[in-house]
Amino acid sequence: MLSRRSLLRLEPAASAESGRETRNSVVVQRDVQQQVDHVTSQKNEDVVGQATPSASIAAPVLTLALAACGGGESATAPVATAVQTPAVVVKKAASDAEAVRFLTRAQFAATTADMTRVKDAGYISWLDAEIAKPIGETAVANYKRIGGEDLANTDYFGTTFHTQVMWQQLLDSNDQMRKRVAFALSEFFVISANGLNAVWHGLGLCHYWDILNKHAFGNFRTLLEDVTLNPMMGEYLSLHGSRKEDTRTGRRPDENYAREVMQLFTIGLVELNNDGTAKKDSSGNPIPVYSNEDVTNVARALSGWAWQGTTAELNSGSPSTMTGYVQRPMTADPTKMLYARSSSEHSLLEAKFLGVTIPANTEAEPALKIVLDTLFNHANTPPFFAKQMIQRLITSNPSPAYVDRVAKVFANNGSGVRGDLAAVFKAILMDDEALSTSNLTSQTFGKVREPFVRFVQWARTFSMKKPTSGRYDLFDTSQQSSGLGQMVFRSPSVFNFFRPGYVPAGTAIASNQLVAPEFQIINEISNIGYANYMHTIAASKSNPNREPDYSAEMLIANDSTALVNRIDLMMAGGQLSQATKDRIKQAVDSIALPTTNDTDARFNRVAAAILLTMVSPQYLIQK
Amino acid sequence: MYISKLDELHRRAFLKRSAQMSALGAAAPFAVNMSLVSDAAAFTGSGDFKAIVCLFLLGGNDHDDTLIPYDNANYDLYNAIRGGGAGRTAGGIARAQADLASTVLNPLVPQTLTNNMQYAMHPAMTRMKARWDEGRLASLLNVGTLVRPTTLTEYRSADRVRYPLPFGLFSHNDQQSVWQSSAPEGATSGWGGRLADLALSSNTNSIFTAISAAGNSVFLAGQSAVAYQVGSSGAVRLRNGNQNVAGSATAFNMMREIMTQPDPSSHIFEGEYNRVTKRSVEAEAVYSTGLAGARPLTTSFANNGTTSGIAAQLQIVARTIAARQALGVNRQVFFVNMGGYDHHDSLISGHSNLLSQLDFAMDAFYRATVEMGLADKVTLFTASDFGRTLSSNGDGSDHGWGGHHFMLGGAVRGGRYYGTAPEISNTGTGQVGQGRLLPTTSVDQYGATLTNWFGTAPSELSTLFPNIGNFSGTNLGFLG
Repeated sequence: MLSRRSLLRLEPAASAESGRETRNSVVVQRDVQQQVDHVTSQKNEDVVGQATPSASIAAPVLTLALAACGGGESATAPVATAVQTPAVVVKKAASDAEAVRFLTRAQFAATTADMTRVKDAGYISWLDAEIAKPIGETAVANYKRIGGEDLANTDYFGTTFHTQVMWQQLLDSNDQMRKRVAFALSEFFVISANGLNAVWHGLGLCHYWDILNKHAFGNFRTLLEDVTLNPMMGEYLSLHGSRKEDTRTGRRPDENYAREVMQLFTIGLVELNNDGTAKKDSSGNPIPVYSNEDVTNVARALSGWAWQGTTAELNSGSPSTMTGYVQRPMTADPTKMLYARSSSEHSLLEAKFLGVTIPANTEAEPALKIVLDTLFNHANTPPFFAKQMIQRLITSNPSPAYVDRVAKVFANNGSGVRGDLAAVFKAILMDDEALSTSNLTSQTFGKVREPFVRFVQWARTFSMKKPTSGRYDLFDTSQQSSGLGQMVFRSPSVFNFFRPGYVPAGTAIASNQLVAPEFQIINEISNIGYANYMHTIAASKSNPNREPDYSAEMLIANDSTALVNRIDLMMAGGQLSQATKDRIKQAVDSIALPTTNDTDARFNRVAAAILLTMVSPQYLIQK
Repeated sequence: MYISKLDELHRRAFLKRSAQMSALGAAAPFAVNMSLVSDAAAFTGSGDFKAIVCLFLLGGNDHDDTLIPYDNANYDLYNAIRGGGAGRTAGGIARAQADLASTVLNPLVPQTLTNNMQYAMHPAMTRMKARWDEGRLASLLNVGTLVRPTTLTEYRSADRVRYPLPFGLFSHNDQQSVWQSSAPEGATSGWGGRLADLALSSNTNSIFTAISAAGNSVFLAGQSAVAYQVGSSGAVRLRNGNQNVAGSATAFNMMREIMTQPDPSSHIFEGEYNRVTKRSVEAEAVYSTGLAGARPLTTSFANNGTTSGIAAQLQIVARTIAARQALGVNRQVFFVNMGGYDHHDSLISGHSNLLSQLDFAMDAFYRATVEMGLADKVTLFTASDFGRTLSSNGDGSDHGWGGHHFMLGGAVRGGRYYGTAPEISNTGTGQVGQGRLLPTTSVDQYGATLTNWFGTAPSELSTLFPNIGNFSGTNLGFLG
C-alpha cells in the first residue's frame, strides 16, 4: 500500500508505566484459558489470541517471545501446560487496511502508531495495552477546569459546558478505546439531557460518563449498580424519590426503573438462548421473561432511594453548594438524603420476581443487592448484552454462534469471573467472524457507521484544532436536518436513537429478514443533513477554532490517486469500490493546482476527497 | 399466530400489486407516476382530496389526566385514588374539581356514560374544549391494542392460544409498534403505510402519499408505499443549493453520483442507504418547488412567539397539503409525533405543559385546514403507546393499556363520546391492576373507522388490520 510513512504523523507512544497496576496474574490466567477453549473449538486450524502479561505493554517483542513458549513464563501454572500443545500464533493485522479495519472498530480512528502496533505486535497486545491505559482527565475534572462550575457562567440549568466537555472527552483523550466502549455503553445504559431538569444535570451527565469509563473494562455487576444508583439516572427513570406503598390511598412504588432495568439494561423482554435467539413455546411464540407482576414487585424492592446530600447544601440558596449531589450515589438512608426524610420510604413488604423471593422486612440495600444479583446472574443477560455490543462495534446481524461465543465469555472469563467487560470486548473484537476477511465481500455483514462516530473519526484522524481555552466550538449535533442526527447523551428517550431490532421497512434488508438498527436514523432528511454538515465542517476554513489539520494529506494532494488511496485507507480501511474511487479522483482532479501559491487548492483537494469518501456507501457501511 | 396471518395477507397483496407494477415496468418503490396502477379492490380515492394525520403521543399519555372525571361521584373516586385533597381540592396527582369547571365536556347529543360519568378536559386544553362545543372534536374512550375482545378472566388465563394478547404489553417500543402496525418492534409495515399502498393509485406522485414529519416510524411503511420524510422546514437540499464542493461543480456532481448510484453488486445495506438518498434528492426538487408555489398560510402556528415542536410538524403538514395540486396527490397519510408523555413523575406540571402545547398545535392545524377550505377533508387523530395507571406512584403514574383519544376535523361527528367509559376503579373487572384499563375498543376498530372515511372498502380492511375480523363493529361512526 502506501509507503509514505514520512507523511504520516507519528502519534505519541502509549504510556507504558500507568497500566501495570490494573493487570494482574488473574487476568493473564483467564486469557490463557480462553486461548485453550479457543484452540479446542477451532481444532487448531486458526491462529489464536495471546495472553499479554503487564510487562509486555512496554515490550511487545518480549510478549511475542513468551507467546512462542506457550505462555509458560507467565504466572499461569494451572493451565499453562494445556497451552503448550497447540502451535500458538499471535493474530496480527496483515496489512494497513486490516489494521485500520480493526482500529476503527476498537476505537474511533486509526493512528499511524496504532497501525504499526497491531501489525507488529498483534491485536491482543494492542488491546491489553489500551485496556490498561489510565483514564485521562475525567469529564468532571474537565468541567471544572473550563469553568463549568463558575456561577457566572450559569450552566447549572444548562448543558453548554457539558457539551464542550463531551467533545473534549471524545476528541482529545488518549484512551480512545475506552471512550469508544463508553460511547457504546451510553447507548445501552441510556440517559439523555432531553429529560433531565435537575440543577447541575450537565455536570451530573459528566459524572455519569465518568462512571461508564470507569467500568468500561471492569465488571458489569459493578457498572449496573453504579448506573442504578446514579443520581441523574435516578431522575431520568425516576428511581430517585420512589416511595413505598400507601395502603390508605392506594399509592404504590414507581415502576419506571424496575421495568427498564429489566427490559433494556439486563434481560430483555423474552427468554433467550445463549446465542441470542428467542426461545419459543410449543406454538412457536416467544416467551415473555417477566410479567407485569414482576415489574410491580421489583419496583417495591427498589423503593426508598433518593439523592444524597445535606440540608445545608439544599438550604444555602446558591447553586454553588449543589454540585455535590450529582456526583454521589443515591442513598436509602433518610437522614442522608438531600431532601431529608423523617423515615425510610423503602417498602418492607415481601417482593417476588423471576422466581426469587425477597422476604418481608428486607432493608433497601440488601433488597437492591438481590435484585441486581438476580438480573446479573440471569441466563438472558450474557447474550442480551453481548449481542448489542457486537451490533454497536462490529455487525448488525452477528451469527448466533458469534453471540454464543461472546456470551460465554460474559458468563465466565476463563477464571470463573462473570461480567468481565474487558474480556467481553476483547472477545467481540477478536472473534473470527469479526476479523475474517471473507466477510468483506459478504452482502450482509457489517453495520451503518453511526453518524456521531463518523464525525469523531474525522476529527481525530485529521487532528481537528484543540481550542486553547479548552472549550470546544462544537455543539449539540443531534439535529437531523442540519447536524449529524446524533449526539452522545441526547437521544429522544431511553430507547436510544435506534433500537437493536429495528427493521427498515420496504427494503431488501427487511425481505432478507435482517435488522439494521442505525437505519432508524437514516432518512431523506438525515442523509442530506449529514452531508451538508460534513461539508461545512470538513471542507471550509470558516471557523478557525475547529480547523482540521490536513497538512500531511496536502503534501500528496498533487497526486490524486495517492490522495484518494490514503483517505480510503485511513477512513474506510481501504474498502471503497473502484467506481467510487474513480469518482473521487475525478472530483479531486477538477480542482486545479496553480503553479504558485497552491495552498488553498491543496486544501480543497483534500477536503473534497475526504467529504466524498465520507458520503460513499462503502464507507458508510462498516464491514 | 396473528403475526403470521399478517405476513400472509401482505404476501398476497404484494404479489397482486407487484404483478400490476411489473406490467407497467415500474419495479422500484420510488415510482413517480403510478397513476395507472389500479387495485382490483374498491378503494376510492379519485376526485376529491382527503388526508389523515396520525399524531402520536410518545411515552404513553395519561388519559386520566386528559379526560378527568368531573361529576361528584366519579370525581370523588378519582380524587381518592390519585391522592387529592379534602373538599375536592388538588393533591397527589389529582386536580381540583373547581379547576375543571370551565372545560367540562358535555355531549351535544344526549349520551349517558358508565356510572353517569361526566368528563372535563384537562384545564390547559381550552381550545379543544371549544372545538368540542363546535362539534369538531370527538373522543374515543378506552381504546387500546387487542388481538380479540378480551375479558379480565381471559387476560388472566394461562391459555394464550385461545386468548392471545398483543405482544409486549406495557412496553413502550412494542406497544408503539402494535398501535401502528399490529405487530411488535421489528414489524415491517404499518396500517398507515398499508393504507397508502391502496391510495398510491389515486396520486400522480406516489412518493408524496405517505409523509412523516417525525422521522422513521413503522406506521407509514407499506409494501409499495415508502414514507417520505420531511423536516419542520420542509425538505433539505444537498449543499443547500450551492452546486459545488470545495469550490468545484464537478466535485459536487461526483458527490451526488456517489450518494445516489450504488454499485450494482454492492452490499444490501449500501444499496438501501443510497436508495434513501436518491429518493431524497429526486423528491426534494419536486417537493420544494411545490411548497414554494403554494399560497402561503396566514394561520400562525406560533403561540406567544414560540412555535413548539409539534406545532412546527403540523405546520409543515399543513403547508404540504396546501401544495397538494403541485405535488399531484389526492390522498395522503401523515405522521407527526410529540415526546415526553412518560410521566412517571412530575405529572401535574409536566403534563399540563405538554397538553397546553398540544392544544394550541392541534387547534392551529385545524384553523389552517379551515383556511384552505379543507376542514372536512382532513382528519387528525391521536394515538399513544398506552394509557397509564389510575393509581398514583406519588407524583406520577405508570404504564397502562387502554386510554382515551381524540379525533379532530370538519368531518368528525364531534361533541360526543365513542366507545365505552371505564369505571373509576383500580380493582374492578375493567382493569388489569392499579387501574390499567383493559381496552373495550380496539385500535383496529379505531383505524378501520378512519380508513373507511378515507376510501377503503370493507373487503380491504383485513389487509389493513389483520385482526379486525375478531371484532363486531368496524365503523365506530365518528366520521360522517
